[in-house]
Amino acid sequence: MSDEKRHGSGSVQPGDTSKRVGAEVVRERGGDPEEIREKLIDAIGAEFTTYYYYTNLRCFLAGEEDLKEITEDARLEDRAHFELVMPRVFELGGKLPNDIRDFADRASCPDAYLPDDPTPTNILETLLEAERCAIRTWAEVCDMTRDCDPRTYDMAQRIYNEEVDHEAWFIELLSRERDGEANPAGHFVRGEPGEAPYSTNNRMNDSA
Amino acid sequence: MTYTVELVVPDDCGTGMDGQSVDVDVRDGEYVLWAARNAGVWLPADCQQGWCCRCAGYLLSGSLDQADSRRYYDTDRDAELHLLCTATPESDCRILVCQYEAMLDERASHDLPPGRSKR
Repeated sequence: MSDEKRHGSGSVQPGDTSKRVGAEVVRERGGDPEEIREKLIDAIGAEFTTYYYYTNLRCFLAGEEDLKEITEDARLEDRAHFELVMPRVFELGGKLPNDIRDFADRASCPDAYLPDDPTPTNILETLLEAERCAIRTWAEVCDMTRDCDPRTYDMAQRIYNEEVDHEAWFIELLSRERDGEANPAGHFVRGEPGEAPYSTNNRMNDSA
Repeated sequence: MTYTVELVVPDDCGTGMDGQSVDVDVRDGEYVLWAARNAGVWLPADCQQGWCCRCAGYLLSGSLDQADSRRYYDTDRDAELHLLCTATPESDCRILVCQYEAMLDERASHDLPPGRSKR
């Protein structure tokens, strides 16, 4: 029956799996799902590489347990951001680059390398600038999707919220470490490491 | 010192000033992108650290310093392509903005990121 009756509007025919209404509605509202998708791949490339680089930066904060704890939250939440948005890439007709080198190459934020002199201050400066790049990137995604793609917008604004948290944390820590000044973030600790209160995707089951 | 930077905006840029040319005053040491946005020309940009290439522009005349960019190649300069988020004028300039796709093509032609991964 359904294949005999066309949809009331739009370009997707009943039973057609070559197109997605979830992408076409974006186009119908003036958005460009392909452009959004490509920008998302760049943005989650940055989240993924940041997760990697933060792993290394965190190791070099040995003995600075408060800094390690905060860096761990940011590290795990960046991975959560990758996992939140990754399905949206496929929904919009895209895919992850087959070669991780391509994924890293197109990441929209710089590599967060361990500084040549890995003091806590230098590491915190690296972390802070990485977060600032992420804030700018997700703000741009919000601008791009606000009026045409509520699903991507919702994801982007959730991630944006957490990136702003991360910036505030690292400003607080860097101000104390480098300048000896109190510059509070005003945030409470996460309920668990890397809780990602805004952006956690569906919890994976315990065996995953 | 203040430089006058003429931004030539293509028809498909999506800035709200498409098809126009806009003169922007850029102070010595100030980034072109920041000055443009402050002047109401909302040029595209993501990282604002001279990395992602979203803010690329083609230098029609004048001179730009790109020392603050995190990822900028001699081949970019040879092609007169610049990253406006981290470009400071060294003279009055004329710049064709919204050249992200051209930058990706240029990078890909030299097997450089991110163009090589997006072409």
